[in-house]
Parts: sequence; structure tokens; C-alpha cells
Amino acid sequence: MPCLPKILISGLIAGFPCLSPLAACAFEGAADLRNRPCVDCHACNAPTREAPCLRGCPRPHEVAPTPIPATATADIPDFFVLDQLSDLYGPVFFPHKLHADMEGMAQGCAVCHHHNPPGKILGCKECHGGPSNPEHLGQPGLKGAYHRQCLSCHREWSHETDCAVCHQPRENGHIIPVTPEATDIMGRLHPNVKPPGKWVYKTPDMPEGGVVTFHHGEHIQLFGLACVECHRKENCSRCHGGTAPNHRVRTDPHEDCSACHDVSDNCTRCHAQSETAGFEHGRRTGFSLKPYHSERDCAACHVGGKVFGGLSPDCRSCHAPDWMPEAFDHKLTGLELDELHQEASCADCHVAGLGKPVGCAGCHEDGKQYPETLPGKRVGDATAPGK
Amino acid sequence: MKVSRRGFFQVLGLGAAGAVASPDRSDASSPSASLGEGMGMLVDTTECIGCRKCEYACDHAHELTGQPPSAFEDLSILDTPRRMDEDSFTVVNRYPNPDNPEKPISVKIQCMHCLRPACTSACLVGALQVAENGAVVYEAWKCLGCRYCMVACPFGVPTYEYHEPFTPQVRKCTFCHERVTHEGKIPACAEMCPPMALTFGQRSELLELAHKKIADNPERYINHVYGEHEVGGTSWLYLAPREFEELGFLKLGPGALPSLTEPIQHAIFKFGIPPLTLYGLLGAMMWAYRNGDDPPVSHDMEGETNDA
Ligand code: SF4
Ligand code: SF4
Ligand code: SF4
Repeated sequence: MPCLPKILISGLIAGFPCLSPLAACAFEGAADLRNRPCVDCHACNAPTREAPCLRGCPRPHEVAPTPIPATATADIPDFFVLDQLSDLYGPVFFPHKLHADMEGMAQGCAVCHHHNPPGKILGCKECHGGPSNPEHLGQPGLKGAYHRQCLSCHREWSHETDCAVCHQPRENGHIIPVTPEATDIMGRLHPNVKPPGKWVYKTPDMPEGGVVTFHHGEHIQLFGLACVECHRKENCSRCHGGTAPNHRVRTDPHEDCSACHDVSDNCTRCHAQSETAGFEHGRRTGFSLKPYHSERDCAACHVGGKVFGGLSPDCRSCHAPDWMPEAFDHKLTGLELDELHQEASCADCHVAGLGKPVGCAGCHEDGKQYPETLPGKRVGDATAPGK
Repeated sequence: MKVSRRGFFQVLGLGAAGAVASPDRSDASSPSASLGEGMGMLVDTTECIGCRKCEYACDHAHELTGQPPSAFEDLSILDTPRRMDEDSFTVVNRYPNPDNPEKPISVKIQCMHCLRPACTSACLVGALQVAENGAVVYEAWKCLGCRYCMVACPFGVPTYEYHEPFTPQVRKCTFCHERVTHEGKIPACAEMCPPMALTFGQRSELLELAHKKIADNPERYINHVYGEHEVGGTSWLYLAPREFEELGFLKLGPGALPSLTEPIQHAIFKFGIPPLTLYGLLGAMMWAYRNGDDPPVSHDMEGETNDA
């Protein structure tokens, strides 16, 4: 049975959620519509199939834009040929994939597919069909829609509004090529962005220290963060040309750091008198990762997300119960024990526990003390614990 | 200045025939039922890319200079404020945008097509009139050449063909009256504007749209539609991301300016100066100016506008 009667019924009780499987009739794959009030999409109280009185294009507060799934990037269209004005200009080749490739950093697909109703992703033409419609003054025609989308970014970095930048002019019926051929842009992705190593910020007003060293490269290489985990609202012109300083304007200077770090106290952790060195586990925590732990991801030990720390340098805190003290090769700590000390049990020296100051007085009555006198010899890593 | 003489005689004839026989004058200078219900244009300066295509379109549509599109591609001139002249009905100026230096704010200016225009009210012979659809149109054959309209216009819009020896005219945007009413087209500038920063439509609907845009994007626009109330309302309306005074607009009150110019005329009539005498007087004034340059008043006006 066609859904017409159901639409009629639900239309008559406009304002109530459409309980009928309206979506199947009107919107391919838009099951979410079932729970939406009819008036979201229909302007009149009794929409029919013949006169559905559909609103021009649902606005964000009427129909929430669908989040575009991450998997969409796998099968997004490569490029489009825009040739509505082919009698005046040659076709415009729009490298869609190249743009979509940066979508994560530039606020997502919804920046361009702005009022996408639930369901499939709509192209510009679906709402901005042709010339402006006097019935929908707020909805520009296709020409306006295209130019607004392209030029809102491109003029920012090129400061050009020259038609020939995109349109290949025609002269005597022939196209004068100025833009790439379709084949030149097929499959093109955004070139990889070279991440900077570090940023040094001046914070002269901070009594704790006027310099903050942000080890940007470290966050990518060491901590494995993807660009989009911090860069979500980027503006293309930050990188592309432009004369503006290419650092981000933040209303709250801690904005980016505080997403992961607690910035409420402990200012000196970042604010120092001079530039600080990058992160080194041994120096920061007294527990060197070399050699056995150096290849591990942070999260392999620091399970449970973004909270790092809280682990004890006591090997057994992670390795118990199948870890045997007898099997431990003390050399791994950077200190190779001499034969005498290999005989001793852990607790003979680690009187206060592993990772705590060691005591020698239990055996050495002659006042020998660590680290003035070593129970062996140093090997390898100088930052090993116990140094 | 010979035209003044020509215009003078033309209007003298009119005056003799039936005194002030300009039928629409009263419509123009007093509120009528259709006030504000005509057509309008909404200029969204946040969408304007400063490409000057509107300047070309206007030039082409009105056969002003007849220059090719390439003559309008130099964007560097946008940074020095320009005004309309007798060969341009519209110009685009560019203002710095402290919120985003990469995106200066471009503003197209032209006649605002006031709902209660000072120019029509200042015009003694009805050469400037409000057409039915709200356009403020000029009829050269009636024009005396007195240039009162230039002085009266709060926006400093009308210009004059000073160096045209035989038929100098007052020049200003026509709101493409011919195209719109006889050819069923939209104004040439709006038709060409690539990002459709110019929306042509019923003024009342445009106002509604403007307020909806502000409500939907409060961070994009300041909460002010320029032309909604200024000088009693204008058919051209503007949306902007920053205060209008920063963008070359004058701060004007909601009072219609005819209320300033009308008393002068009305006084003339009240004191019983017959139209014929009046035009004789005005004609004499024009003759007195005939070898001079622009009357000093228009200099003052330009100065004021540029300062703003
Ligand atoms: S802007 Fe000036 S010329 Fe245009 S209608 Fe208003 S008063 Fe007349
Ligand atoms: S409305 Fe017509 S006359 Fe006025 S500026 Fe636009 S094109 Fe020129
Ligand atoms: S054509 Fe449109 S975008 Fe270009 S300068 Fe004129 S109003 Fe602005």
C-alpha cells in the first residue's frame, strides 16, 4: 500500500512525530525521519504526494545535519566537472578528493555540505538547483552556491577573484587552457603537511617563567597523536599564502593543552625560565625505558586512555605474578652488578622498596655508600634509575 | 550650463501651462500606502568578494563607458575610497577587516533608493520620482540642472555631467528600472554578482531574510540592517560583519530627510510666490552660475561624505 494515506494522516496531525514509514517513500535511507515532526520538512498541514509542499531545503535548526561517517572518505568522489556554463567557459575541474582529504582539520565535510538532512550526502545542485528562486530568497542559485564555497577560502589566500583562475575562457569557440586537465587532478590528495618540531611561546607575564616550549613533533612521533586530534577548526589560509601570522588565535591560551593536560595548577610544568628539553621518560620519572620498554607504545603500559603516570617503578607492579626476581638481569637498569652483589637479594640493597633510595649499611659497616661507591659498573644508558 | 537654459525653458513652459504639474511629487515626499512595499536589494557584505563585476555589469547595461570586463579587473584601486561619478552608477570600496586581515570587507555603493527620498523632495520639477516599485528614477527632460538633488541626498549619490556641453544630466543608479519593469530581468549588477551577494526581491521579504540571517549567524553579522530605518528606510539594505561606520556608511537617524527639505519649498509656496515667479527666480540663479564651476555647496557635501 503506498504511503500516501499515512502521510495524509500524519500530515493532519502535523506537529506529532511521523509514525508511518514515511522515510521509505520520501527519503531514501533516511529512517531517522520517522521520529521527526512533519513540519520539519513540509510547509503545509496536509502534504500529499502530488503537493508535498516540501520546504526548500531543511535548515540546521529544523533538521540536524548528519555527521558524515569517517568511512565516507574511502569512497568519496574523486573530482567533479562543473560545466553548467560550457557555452561561456570551459569546464571547471573540481578536485573533490583533494579537498575532502583535509576535511578532518577543516571542520569536516559539513563545512561545504552545510545543511545536509539525514540520509545520503547531497551535492550542491540538489538544493541550489539552478538560478535563484524568488520563493527562497535566502537560498542562492547554483552560481552563488559554487562561488561562495570556493571563494570564501580561495580569495583568502590568493586574494584573487579573477575568473580565469578556475574558468578556462573560451575564445572563438576554443578553450584557452589555464587550469589543470581532469587527468592531472585524478586521485590527487592533499600533500602531506610537514609538522614543525617545536614552538617556543613567550609568556612574559608569568612569574613562574616566561618561556613555554611546546614539543610539537614529539606529540606526533612519540605520543602518536593524529593531526586532527588537535587541529579541528583550521582555516586553509593558515598554510596557503596569506600574510597573517600562521599561529592559531586562541581565546584561551591553554585551549589546546588542556584537552589532555591538567593545566589548573602546577604552572612550572610548562612555564620555565628558558627553553626546556623534550620528554625523556627516564629524566621525567626516574624510570628509564631502555632497553626493554623503549619500543613500547605509551598506552601499552599506561592503559586507560589519557591519564599517564600512576605506575610504580617496581617491576612487580606490572609484571607480577609470573615475573621472577631471580630472572632479573640488573644490567638492564644501566648498572651491571659485580659478582658479590649478584648474590644479594633485591631487598638487601633496595631497603625501602624498588625505585626508592638504596641502603648499604646493612652489610657495609665501613660507611660505603651508593652512589659514591657502585656495586658494579655503569653500562649503557646514563639516565638509568639509581643514577 | 546651456542645458539649464534648455531645461529652464522646458519647465518654464510647463510652469506656464499648469504650474507645478508634476503628478507624483506628493507620492514621493509624503508617506503613501505602498511605502516600503516595493522592490529592494539586500547586499550581504560578508559574501561580497570585491570582484567589481557589478561595476562592469552596470557599466555594460547602461552603456556608460563601454569598457571591456578587463578594465574592471584591477582590484588595487579598491583600497582608496571612491565615489560614483557621472560615468559610474556604482563603485566597490574595500575596508580592512580586523577580525580577519585576509578577508577585507568590500562594499558596493550606489543610490540607496530611499523610501522617502530627499532628492525627489528637493527636486522642484519632479525630475526625480519614486516609481511604483520603489526605484527612484530620473527623467532628464524635466531636469532643470539645478543640482538641488545632489545637495539634498544624504548619501552624496547624484553626480552631474559637468563636462557635457549640451545635455548634461544628473546621473545615478536607476535600479535598472527599464530592465526590471520592461524586460522582466533583475538589475544587471545582481545578475552578474558571482557569489550572489546581491539579492533582489520584495523589500519586506528581504528585511525578513536579513533578520533571519542575523538570527541564524549572530557571530557573522552585527545586529543592524542598514537601510531598514535610516532616513526613513531605503530600498537597498545592507548586512555587515562590523559596524557600518567602519565601512564608509554615514550614521543617519530614522527621520526621513524630506522633512528637512520640504519646509523650504513649502515656505516658498506658503508665502504665495507663484510657481512661475519661483522658476524665474531659480532660472536666474542658474544663469548666474552659468559660467562658474560647481556650486560651492556640492563641494561641502562631498567633503562630508568622504570624511565619514
Ligand atoms: S540615495 Fe540619494 S539619490 Fe538615492 S534616492 Fe536617496 S536621496 Fe535620492
Ligand atoms: S541596480 Fe542597475 S543601475 Fe543600479 S548599480 Fe545595479 S546595475 Fe547599476
Ligand atoms: S559583483 Fe558582487 S561580489 Fe563582486 S564586488 Fe560586486 S557585489 Fe561584490
